[in-house]
Amino acid sequence: MQLRPILTFTAQKLLRLGLLLLAVAVFTFVLLSLSPIDPLQAYIGADMMQISPEQRALIAERWGLDQPMIVRFWDWLGQLLQGNWGTSMVFNQPVSEVIASRFRVSLQMLAIAWLLSGLFGLGLGILAGAFAGSWGDRAIRLYAYTLASSPTFWVALLLLITFSVSLQVTPICCAAPPGILAADVTFWQHLHHLLLPAITLSIIGIANIALHTRQKLIEVLQSDYILFARAQGESRWGVIRHHGLRNLILPALTLQFASLSELFGGSVLVEQVFAYPGLGEATVQAALRSDVPLLVGIVFFSALFVYTGNTLADLAYPIVDPRIRLGG
Amino acid sequence: MSIIKPSSVCSLGAALLGSALGTILVGCGAGPTESADVSDSIAAFSQTGSAEQIVLAIGGEREEGYDPTLGWGRYGSPLFQSTLLKRNADLNIVNDLATDYTASEDGLTWTVTIRDDALFSDGEPLTAADVAYTFNQAAVSGGLTDVTVLAEAIALNDTTIELRLKQPQSTFVNRLITLGIVPEHAHGPDYARNPIGSGPYQLVQWDEGQQLIVEANPRYYGEAPGIQRLVFLFVEEDAGFAAAKAGQAQVVSVPQALAVQSIDGMTLYDVASVDNRGLMFPYVPDTGATTPDGDPIGNDVTADLAIRQAVNYAIDRQALVDGVLEGYGSPAYGPVSGLAWEETSANIEDAQPTKAQELLAAGGWADNDGDGVLEKEGLNAEFTILYAANDSTRQALALAAAEMLKPIGIQANVEGKSWDEIEPEMHSNVVVFGWGSHDQTEMYNLYHSQSAQGDYFNAGYYANQAIDDILDLAMGAPSEAEAIAFWRAAQWDGNQGFTARGDAAWAWLVNLDHTYFVSDCLDIGQPQVEPHGHGWPITANITEWEWTCS
Repeated sequence: MQLRPILTFTAQKLLRLGLLLLAVAVFTFVLLSLSPIDPLQAYIGADMMQISPEQRALIAERWGLDQPMIVRFWDWLGQLLQGNWGTSMVFNQPVSEVIASRFRVSLQMLAIAWLLSGLFGLGLGILAGAFAGSWGDRAIRLYAYTLASSPTFWVALLLLITFSVSLQVTPICCAAPPGILAADVTFWQHLHHLLLPAITLSIIGIANIALHTRQKLIEVLQSDYILFARAQGESRWGVIRHHGLRNLILPALTLQFASLSELFGGSVLVEQVFAYPGLGEATVQAALRSDVPLLVGIVFFSALFVYTGNTLADLAYPIVDPRIRLGG
Repeated sequence: MSIIKPSSVCSLGAALLGSALGTILVGCGAGPTESADVSDSIAAFSQTGSAEQIVLAIGGEREEGYDPTLGWGRYGSPLFQSTLLKRNADLNIVNDLATDYTASEDGLTWTVTIRDDALFSDGEPLTAADVAYTFNQAAVSGGLTDVTVLAEAIALNDTTIELRLKQPQSTFVNRLITLGIVPEHAHGPDYARNPIGSGPYQLVQWDEGQQLIVEANPRYYGEAPGIQRLVFLFVEEDAGFAAAKAGQAQVVSVPQALAVQSIDGMTLYDVASVDNRGLMFPYVPDTGATTPDGDPIGNDVTADLAIRQAVNYAIDRQALVDGVLEGYGSPAYGPVSGLAWEETSANIEDAQPTKAQELLAAGGWADNDGDGVLEKEGLNAEFTILYAANDSTRQALALAAAEMLKPIGIQANVEGKSWDEIEPEMHSNVVVFGWGSHDQTEMYNLYHSQSAQGDYFNAGYYANQAIDDILDLAMGAPSEAEAIAFWRAAQWDGNQGFTARGDAAWAWLVNLDHTYFVSDCLDIGQPQVEPHGHGWPITANITEWEWTCS
């Protein structure tokens, strides 16, 4: 009785995930085959004049570049079904290892950014909604609209100039201080290097969540049952706590999990600006040098990541609102 | 040439952001105090150099890892490995692992004897078997070191290796110079990230995308390096400059634009290089011929010798050095300036617009319609100079050159494009290229008619049977010493050559100097004339570096 909806839900989700991943893979291969960047040229780079045609052929053979894209796609798919993600041309390392090591660096940044944007977004949204029309609301909206319309890399640059260059409170680059062995890097040094990129990323998510939360709260506050509650003498905060929050949390949660995709996309730019060697930076490298296995791997991984986020949101709904049932 | 080198790749991520960031940081760095501030925050650690440890911000990260059979160590020091031979400060070939080497008269068999006391950093001895393994492996591994000419390498005994070639190749000696020897017993897919070798340093830690930490290898057979530990920071040039200002980096490579600044306690090293820039001319007329990819070949204007020579004579190269390179460079008359195989008699007296005009007049060019541009048989003396749009130095060189050609009646239109756009047009238009290598193979590939296959090799389809013959003689010579006479003759032998006096296949413009700030306490000896690639080549003699302060 309990099991069936869960099974249906899981089966549906997995089927959709499979189709999504297949589509993602096909599109990535198609797009890359249209890319003007010649991966062989990108690999050889500055040493072109010392590499004879024979050696070029050898390199092409090593990476399978002598094959047409469609053949490479089938090869890749066959390998993938055996659990092999291929080898990255740029890093000369199995794609799964590149993604694992890079994602480990990015993960903390993403996690901090995600939590911050969720908490601050919800908080600001409630404040703005509760005092709709006040100057506080206007200030929060101005802030949210400004950030929602600012490109991530631009915000990142501004923060870098302010905090790293002018105020000198944060480092300019990297994930750890230079010249120090990994074992000797302290937790604080680690956090110090992590903080500004994480905050930059979170700032962008805040705007979205705050504006939606505000809108929803205003909606709720104008409803009849709120009027009734107020008539019974419930205070503004009492109303928000007992009636508003549960209604608010659903859209906020959806957005929060949906924002994983933006977070992931934003990290590509933010990591570039802060020279933070995470997955985002590897994505740029892979794209610029037409490293097909790595790029497809990262695209795959990010699709999985975002899909998992959305599924978690789906799973969280019935907990927040018992009226919602899985698979229903 | 830095076409698609990772560090110079341009696109949304790397260029747009990178350059935006760079500009802002440089902008902030204009005042000395402000930049020092930048670097305070760059690293919240206090680090000054010592004989124990120095920090270098000279780029050069190799994402692929440190496997010589895949191309690591092609220039500069291979750090972890050692090579059979090496080039000293004057670029002469001297022994390293090898104690002697000979090539047979037909150039097909090279016999190398090696020292018997070399150990890998894991304690195993380095034998001829490892050398043979390294060469055989490099020949098939499809990396960035080209050993395709090798038929097989055989260890005759523990200290003698025989390298058998498919055909004679005098430039093969460059493989003996650049190919670091790897241990057969510890070489595999993981080797690139855990290099073990007989070189002066061993790997301590590599934080990919950030830094490389190495320390002296106690088992190194040579003289122990003067600096115990090296930290290579992989940061943008501006961030490296800022770190140096704060005293946190002891060697930093800087672009010419930053070289005009000064840093307390550091000296500017202005290292000559063969990192050249020049104008490549399409050599043949446009007959409708196309490359295998269908791109047009040839240009009727630049196919005329008078035009190519006039351009060579009209351009004031010293003015380009002073104006575009801030003085950090030298005039280039050929592709191998400053190297032992340069033919200096090929150098011309340039900045002679009158001589250029005489050449043009003798070639039948005249301005009949009075529009300031010469004509010949209804053809205007007009061509397009293409340059890589993301390279401001190339842009400035192209614009300045075009300006110098105007007074002699040649109309050069300058256009910046991406390499993807330039590639299909580079066989029919003048292009600003940059090359420069210690390996003569480059010269061969730039000028041999057989090299022209619709790619970057001999993009202008230069073809002169006499020059082909000389280049083939150079390539087929049994040793570099014997080849040098031919390499020189190909440039200019008094009657013919591919340089300005002869066929003027290119108008070489300048060699960039590579500029570094080096701590006053650090003696880096005599740097070599560096190849294309600013940064890592300075490590070529890194074992001789000494910390001179106490």
